Amino acid sequence: MKSAIYLLSIAVLALGLYSYEVRQENTNLQQTVHAQYTNALTNASERLTNLQEAISQSLLFQDQVALEAQLDNIWRMSNEFRSSISSLPLSTEVANDWLRYVGNIGEEAKYVADNGDFEEWHKKMGKINENLKALSDEWTVATTRFYENDGDFKKWASVATQETKESPFKNVSANLKSYTETDFPLTASESDWKKKQELQNLTDKELTKEQAIDKLELLIPGIKDATYTVTKSKETAPYPFYHIQFVKGSRIGYADITVKGGHILSFLSERPVQEHTGITQQQIKDRVYQFLGRAGYKDLQLVEMRENHEAWHISLARVVGKDKALVYPDGVQLKVSKDSGELLGFNAMEYVQKETVDESQPVNPIDWETFFRPGTIVEEERLIYTENDAFQLRKCYEVIARFDNKLNETFRVVVDTDNHDVIKVEYMP
Amino acid sequence: MVRSIFMTIILTLGTFAIVKPSETSAFSSQLIERGSFGDDVIELQARLQWLGYYNGRIDGIFGYGTYWAVRNFQKEFGLDIDGVVGSSTKKNLVNSTEYHEDWVKQQIDRGNQFTHYGGTPLSQQVKGGGGGSGQSKSSDMQLPVKYSERDLQLMANAVYGEARGEPYEGQVAVAAVILNRLESPDFPNTISDIIFQPGAFTAVADGQIWLTPNERAKQAVLDAMNGWDPTENALYYFNPQTATSKWIWSRPQIKQIGDHIFCY
Repeated sequence: MKSAIYLLSIAVLALGLYSYEVRQENTNLQQTVHAQYTNALTNASERLTNLQEAISQSLLFQDQVALEAQLDNIWRMSNEFRSSISSLPLSTEVANDWLRYVGNIGEEAKYVADNGDFEEWHKKMGKINENLKALSDEWTVATTRFYENDGDFKKWASVATQETKESPFKNVSANLKSYTETDFPLTASESDWKKKQELQNLTDKELTKEQAIDKLELLIPGIKDATYTVTKSKETAPYPFYHIQFVKGSRIGYADITVKGGHILSFLSERPVQEHTGITQQQIKDRVYQFLGRAGYKDLQLVEMRENHEAWHISLARVVGKDKALVYPDGVQLKVSKDSGELLGFNAMEYVQKETVDESQPVNPIDWETFFRPGTIVEEERLIYTENDAFQLRKCYEVIARFDNKLNETFRVVVDTDNHDVIKVEYMP
Repeated sequence: MVRSIFMTIILTLGTFAIVKPSETSAFSSQLIERGSFGDDVIELQARLQWLGYYNGRIDGIFGYGTYWAVRNFQKEFGLDIDGVVGSSTKKNLVNSTEYHEDWVKQQIDRGNQFTHYGGTPLSQQVKGGGGGSGQSKSSDMQLPVKYSERDLQLMANAVYGEARGEPYEGQVAVAAVILNRLESPDFPNTISDIIFQPGAFTAVADGQIWLTPNERAKQAVLDAMNGWDPTENALYYFNPQTATSKWIWSRPQIKQIGDHIFCY
């Protein structure tokens, strides 16, 4: 009996020690996270104040050099504030509202610094400065409780799960929404961009589910007579489409087809693929053009091919005008298996809603020898259409340039044909 | 008579067997050009490096670095300068270089930083690494230029942690949501910030993001990076059986894939 009591006491003691240790570990972890969140909150608050002050200071200057330096600061500070906000456990809604509003300020600063429209900046930022100050005050009120001395981590833990209207950030969120609408209304180009994404403009005749399947089988005969499950997009989807899931042998996949016009937006099929290459790269290209012919897509040009273990991914872009410029936002992607050349994927969402192209944009020649530093060789040059930062579709030179050195480092440089703005520079491995 | 025919066949096969090893390390019959990937490209880069034409990483990806090296080689050897490696380029390469296939692949498998220049003992061309700290293994996948192997790894972890029980389409969809967030002004600017934004993904909160992703999750991420978006531009998704947030139910829904509803 004595031994049993002795053993039981030892077990209880060991269990007690173990649970104490676990509890201690949890407390330590909580304290670490608590410290990090509080640090991020302090940083965010400081950065918000700095940003507001920088905007206020930018209203002081008329001198271009002084203002440009301030705009650079504002762009950097807005990014830093965004980074702090995204590391805080705020509700998705509050975080999104902040990221959008402050991101808009940063983009505006960058845009003005690039384009020199300083008058517009001064006109716009007077009100934004006031609004940001108000937001900064509300933020201080909302976050006070996180600095209270009781060190209660539960306050942090509850923030992300609380509905915004019941959280301390209720006012901040409501005002952010309202200020975003008034301070940064969508520009025409942004609206166009969104419309493009939403495919709301289709006016074609509506297809039944059966017709949609027929259309799919016509384009991709390999899945003919598969077992299909067809559902329609949710009622709140901005454009109606059929979601067709299929099974045929070892193939499982889906296709999304618009109800209006039966345009195939996306198709993807999964099956075991042998890594051994059965067909050549040229044969893959031939299959791609056969497919495009079947689909009736006659205005596409192959832009890039990438091989991987099981398949090739192929990118194509629409070609327009006398100068055969490539419209990158009207792209099509294909996935072709390496073992048999079977079409495993097709993505034409962007191509279905074609961009309106301004072919009249001037093409002013550039002397690449003076544009690039000595020792840079321009290897390829072609015309493309692509979006600039303001979502405007611009005709551009696309240049492949390399350093004439041991490593042959190569870059893709995109330059506006009219104003010679550099839209993009990418390192090409 | 039968015996002599049999002996001839054996001798012929024997001769092939003796000659074959020197050819096994030579290229396959495929044309190799920009966009190609795999063992042929590893051999091409190693042989070009042997002569000093290629100074980049031997990773099996035929990018621009390899392309200019091929063109320079073709120019020097009086071949058609097209950057495409056909039979005559291969023949000239094989005749003028050595390729230590086993050694090269061993270095790649060990994750070592190494080169394959002629005239220097191979043992002096390994600059260390290994254990993941040096040159990465022969790149697992060839990605679009704007994404890195780190992005692929992080996203594969997220997809596997969030959706490994979902159909392939559902896995591509989760990857596409991450990439849609990258384009949206409402979310952070990097894939890492998006994935680790507090509360954004359940897999981060419950630690399932640290599970080792399988090949299927990586393929799903690769398809999303190459443009596939089964969600039709969704920014959020949720499991209707477990979601408790009223806000997420207020978002305009697009479609359901497996257990997830995708929405704006």
